[in-house]
Amino acid sequence: MKQLIFFVAVIGFSISAIGQKTVSGTVMEQGTSLPLLGVSILEKGTTNGASTDFDGNYTINVAGDEATLVFSFLGYKTQEVTVGGQSVVNVSLEVDAQKMDEVVLTALNIQRDKESLGYSISQVTSEQVNVARENNVMNSLSGKVSGLQITQSNTGVDGSSRVLLRGITTISGSNRPLVVIDGIPINNGSGGAGGGGGVDRGDALSDINPDDVESISVLKGAGAAAAYGSLGMNGVILITTKSGGKKDGVGISLNSSFTLTDILLTPDFQNEYGTGAFGDFAPLNLDGRPVLDYPFSWSWGPRMEGQTYTNWLGRQDTYNPNPSRNPYKEFYQTGFALSNTVAFEGRGDKGSFRLSITDEEGQGIVGNNTLNKQTFSLRGSTNLTNKLSIDGKMTYITSKVRNRPQLAEGSGNTALQLSLMPRDIRLEDVANNTINASGEEIKWNLDNTFNNPYWALENAGNFDEKDRYQGFLSANWMISDKFNVTAKTGMDNIVFDYTTFGARGARAIGNGLGSYRHDSGKSRIWNSDILATYNTDISNVNVSFSLGSNYRDEFSSYRNIWGNDSKAPNFYRISNYKNTFSDEGVTKKAIYSFYALSQFNVGGYLYFDATVRNDNSSALPKENNSYWYHSENVSVLLSKILGVSPNILSRGKLRGSFAKVGNDTSPYRTQAVYNIDQTVTLPYTVASIPGSLPSFDLRPETSESWEVGADLGFLNNRITLDFTYYQTNTTDQIMAVPVSGTTAFSSKVVNAGKIQNKGYEAQLNLIPFDSDNFTWTLGFNFTKSNSKVISLNEGLERITLGSLWTASVEARPGEEFGTIYGNDFLRDNFGRKIIGDDGLAKRGERVALGNINPDWYGGITSSIRYKNLTLNSLITIQQGGEYYSYGRGYRLFFGTDARTLEGRENGIIEEGINEFTGFDNDITTSAMLKHFTDIFSNEVATDLILDASNVKLREVALTYDFPKTVLKNTFIQSASLSAVGRNLLFLYNAAGDIDPEATYSSGPTSTAFEHSSLPSTRSYGLNLKLNF
Amino acid sequence: MKNIQQIMRSTVVIITLGLVFLSCEKRLDDLRENPNALTTIDDAALFTKAVRSVFQGTTDNASSHFAGMHAHYYVAGSTWRAPDQYGDGHDGDYNSILNGLYGGTIRHIEDVLEITTAEGTKNPVRNAMADVIAVLGFAKITDAYGEVPYTEGGKGKTEDIVQPRYDTQESIYRDMIERLSNSIAVLKNADPAEGYPDSDPIFNNDMDKWVRFANSVRLRLAMRVRFADSALSSATVALCLDEPLMESVDHDAFMIETEGTGNAWFNRRTGFPSIKMSTMLIDQLQSTADPRLPVFVSQDGNGEYSGMINGLTDVAFGGSDFANKSDMGLQLSSPESKLYVITASEVWLLRAEAALVFDNDPTAANTLFRMGIETSLHQWEIDPTDIATFMGSPSATLAGINDEEQIGVQMWLALVPNYFEGWIHIRRTGYPIIPVREDADLHPGVTNGIMPTRFKYSSFELGSNTNNVTEAINRQGPNAIDTPVWWDKN
Repeated sequence: MKQLIFFVAVIGFSISAIGQKTVSGTVMEQGTSLPLLGVSILEKGTTNGASTDFDGNYTINVAGDEATLVFSFLGYKTQEVTVGGQSVVNVSLEVDAQKMDEVVLTALNIQRDKESLGYSISQVTSEQVNVARENNVMNSLSGKVSGLQITQSNTGVDGSSRVLLRGITTISGSNRPLVVIDGIPINNGSGGAGGGGGVDRGDALSDINPDDVESISVLKGAGAAAAYGSLGMNGVILITTKSGGKKDGVGISLNSSFTLTDILLTPDFQNEYGTGAFGDFAPLNLDGRPVLDYPFSWSWGPRMEGQTYTNWLGRQDTYNPNPSRNPYKEFYQTGFALSNTVAFEGRGDKGSFRLSITDEEGQGIVGNNTLNKQTFSLRGSTNLTNKLSIDGKMTYITSKVRNRPQLAEGSGNTALQLSLMPRDIRLEDVANNTINASGEEIKWNLDNTFNNPYWALENAGNFDEKDRYQGFLSANWMISDKFNVTAKTGMDNIVFDYTTFGARGARAIGNGLGSYRHDSGKSRIWNSDILATYNTDISNVNVSFSLGSNYRDEFSSYRNIWGNDSKAPNFYRISNYKNTFSDEGVTKKAIYSFYALSQFNVGGYLYFDATVRNDNSSALPKENNSYWYHSENVSVLLSKILGVSPNILSRGKLRGSFAKVGNDTSPYRTQAVYNIDQTVTLPYTVASIPGSLPSFDLRPETSESWEVGADLGFLNNRITLDFTYYQTNTTDQIMAVPVSGTTAFSSKVVNAGKIQNKGYEAQLNLIPFDSDNFTWTLGFNFTKSNSKVISLNEGLERITLGSLWTASVEARPGEEFGTIYGNDFLRDNFGRKIIGDDGLAKRGERVALGNINPDWYGGITSSIRYKNLTLNSLITIQQGGEYYSYGRGYRLFFGTDARTLEGRENGIIEEGINEFTGFDNDITTSAMLKHFTDIFSNEVATDLILDASNVKLREVALTYDFPKTVLKNTFIQSASLSAVGRNLLFLYNAAGDIDPEATYSSGPTSTAFEHSSLPSTRSYGLNLKLNF
Repeated sequence: MKNIQQIMRSTVVIITLGLVFLSCEKRLDDLRENPNALTTIDDAALFTKAVRSVFQGTTDNASSHFAGMHAHYYVAGSTWRAPDQYGDGHDGDYNSILNGLYGGTIRHIEDVLEITTAEGTKNPVRNAMADVIAVLGFAKITDAYGEVPYTEGGKGKTEDIVQPRYDTQESIYRDMIERLSNSIAVLKNADPAEGYPDSDPIFNNDMDKWVRFANSVRLRLAMRVRFADSALSSATVALCLDEPLMESVDHDAFMIETEGTGNAWFNRRTGFPSIKMSTMLIDQLQSTADPRLPVFVSQDGNGEYSGMINGLTDVAFGGSDFANKSDMGLQLSSPESKLYVITASEVWLLRAEAALVFDNDPTAANTLFRMGIETSLHQWEIDPTDIATFMGSPSATLAGINDEEQIGVQMWLALVPNYFEGWIHIRRTGYPIIPVREDADLHPGVTNGIMPTRFKYSSFELGSNTNNVTEAINRQGPNAIDTPVWWDKN
């Protein structure tokens, strides 16, 4: 097969070739004589080229003896050889220590020498994301890139992740960086539930197949991203997928991984007191069961000492601690993730292709939560002529997720139910008693926000299906060796279908009547670009100038139907519901843009870039719909100017960047409208006016940012340090500011507010040991980022960005963005709590209690290679930052938390002073009343604000690369086997029994709140890679 | 040759770019229009929205979560019970109630008022009908909070006012009464075809009923200002008595919610947290052998009527056997149960009070009082023999002592299920008497055990309309739940 392709390729090449001379040879590495694969050989002054095969051999037809061959290869010094009379030209390329890994992919897929860039960029290789594999590729970047903050929410398989680059810059925007795959920006929404419940339907990034990723470039500042216009305002993550490979012929590669997922962390529970209140059992109802309402469904009953009592089912039972001690943990199971990828790739002179198929199967810790996903990807490129090449890709992703777990206050949130279950209740009793004789759910708590978790497993669920098509077509026309035009069009198309259902018989679902909902819809982003580049040398200045245009078209639509009151049991179709409703909508938006880029390279030591772009958006009013950006970047290579020996200062670069970026908004915010209400029974028409007032004169918002930095390398780059300081001011932000309800409206769209975001980030890489058999590289990255709210709309004191129970995360002028507010205790001037005559503390003022932003965060990576064995590990660190845990609050006043053991028998004497006497409080109150009053009645948040500081062993991968000598006589070209682990343990966790990342959504301020999250998990398994 | 090719290429590129540019501009214009909504509409559809929201408002959070418990009709369990302890930690509720009141009725009726006075769509009849609805909307808001934005309130869209000034309750009441008088004058001689022939959810565009409705609302407002401005009160009552009023159950302003799951009380009775009828209500009905007992209250599991005491402390509540008490009656809390805004029964009782205090005519007052009770019994379709029995009992006749209290207690019963009006009625008249909470088992709340008299302005309002709300607080008194509103002198 391999030979056949090669043969065909050679024939093809021969036909198209017009050369008069054939030259062949071998390219090897200087010093080691290892053949080099994929070296590019170009006939100077033409586009005629070839590349070396697996054994380093090449063949090329050239014009004649006067031709000069240019041999170039990433990480090696380029060499030019004049053919002369030779027909065999063998070349040895010298390793370019200084240039190693220096070519990076920048905006608009332009490959640049990293030295020439005036802004900060980080690149991550495929091995870093596909060995210790994560379903959501973004999670694999956590801790590996400075400035990038990833929070993996804890919401079941295929959950979403919060992604922030350099913190928050806009008050109401998503703040998520743009994600570009192979030059095409893709859909990138966040996901998650609300505090009141719901499920996390994942985000668009979880569809990126880690096995198809070749590399990831993270463009941090607006200076890097200005070429993408407003979309790039929050930075850009550029993902390059694998193409036809570097070798001629056909190769097959396999990547298999299997990981198990189990519980890392559970809350600390008490196991001494069971159901009841005030130290007593609940009174009995007429039906013989105890009162199942508050406070009797709490764990504030008597001590469990083997008494005889009537249990929650109304049966005589012995009142003893749970034998398993932790029914919460027992409910969950070990999940798994299995992923298999097979890829076929090939390359010839006329082009290359890659076909890959990935199958992923997974199961979460909640038994019925499963993932089934397939990704098919075909990439091909061909050189139609010497000057015209075509590249294209088509990816189809189909995924089915069953029973995404309910979160937060949702009635089906198993973690909420189990963490509050009275401590005497046996899990098997719950499992065996789900439905009574009249078909109603049996549970231990009347509260509608609760289900029996086993009833919910059997009778409620959801089914989330998604089909996604991504692809692009691009053509590159080398008009001359100085002039080049690329046209590209690409699309990201998502079709989704989501069904939720709940059987009749549970008060929590449709008030006992059962419910059904079916949402379907699609969204499409279509980007088309044309870019012309002219490149020339003017004396010793290399100038490159590009002109381009982009058209972006966004479309989405949805159709939802829902109903309640089921007719026949266990049948989930809309016809089976007595009351039915429906809804639909369409959203369209387009932006077209023109841009110009220029680059000046002065003697290889001074680089200057400038970008200008103009966007025109349909989301803005016609008069204001056109807006401009620009960016300027400069890079100076001190080491070259000063001529310092690379052995000492191998790299010395200073860089600076300035950018002004504009932004539009979502469509239809500039028009006042009326909606027609959907009514079924009414003989008249009902219309309504939306609660948000439009703005008729909206302007684009503006973000201005600058950054300075240095890239330093010492001792032949054994020590490298990148450092950046940045600042961004975002003004005129487009947002729906909340307005007084007395206007009859809830918000008004305006241009308002200013946020200043600044910070610094550093990356230090060390190579303490480097020899043939033993290498050790160490990386440290550090980020400190702060976002301050300078102003909001005039007269507006604050904007609430999110809230849970009575805590809220807010933006207030003069304060850090994302400050958590809540009620404090009433205190005297010395900060002492004021205690009433009932022995209880009182509610005080609403004050700032914390902030979501860490003081700093970072990661430590280590890679140790001994011969064929490599050990990679990653530790992530977050210092500071707070969150509000309503989950702990619930467990406290329900009496299930281990902390509630204090004062059970003898009561609690609150620390503080008596409100009348001013003396130290000496009045005892019951522990139950204290927790209930503080948390629920008085809504005091102070004790539930937790420190998010933590150090986590995020990733460990031990890889064995099978030696070439072992594989020599097999058909296998390379093979490696890894043992991997992710999120293995907390080396430090300030909050103790709650995972600070355990949020229920992935929006910008989602880390502010924790509410009875699913137990945090760790995963470990094996990964096998084979190349044929 | 090569040059010509290049020129041709450039020309093609330039023309293509030009075409692309023009078609892009065109495309942007096409996309600006929202395809999911309308930009103009017949005001009838907004009128129905506003009217429905007045009726739906009788089961809103203000009514069900606060007023119903403050007025001692019932006690909610669990997480819903807090307002029954006279606490004020309900900032979120105070804000959402305000948003709901303005965002429901006022938002839509303001648009109707604008359309019905604009050139081309002008319509005095529709405008008069809309004014009645607007007054009902604003009356509830000012009764709940005291001073509120009225002249500038609700005009975020129509006049682009995002920080509206507050008006004194006195000026609001004067203007509301005047608006109703104007509406009555227009509607008395109105051509029904000019009204909302197919879009009137209350009276099917019957102008006679609309006049009675508007006039009855005017009577309600007139009596509300009785203790604050007796002259305005009596003068307005005199005007009302000159025009037709609601007299029989046929004139009642009610609506049956047929959308969704129907009357919101159905889900509340069957859902969680449970709601149990109060000891005070059950005692009143039982001690007078009132035939409305089974209408308002369901029997408990033992086949008896057992009530919950309002205002228990957490400890006392724990021992109260709440779960086994009586639920709300089925006639009040079934999906098809009627929602009432104002009834003939209320109007008779208002007239009884007016006859007693303005005309000093106890005989007329007694006749009107009895009409009020009888109409209420008819409203609940009580068996005629039971009506006769009850009308013959001492409760159905004014005794000549404490007549105001007797009228007040019957008004409290007649207002069921309009619990919000029940709370306002007690605030205004002091009847039925809600004792100050002094028992150790009762929670005194933040009011020293006195029934709350208003809702607080929310912290959001204080932060988003600061100057105006501060001005109102300076005039009205502390932003507390026991600060009386202007008309509240008892």
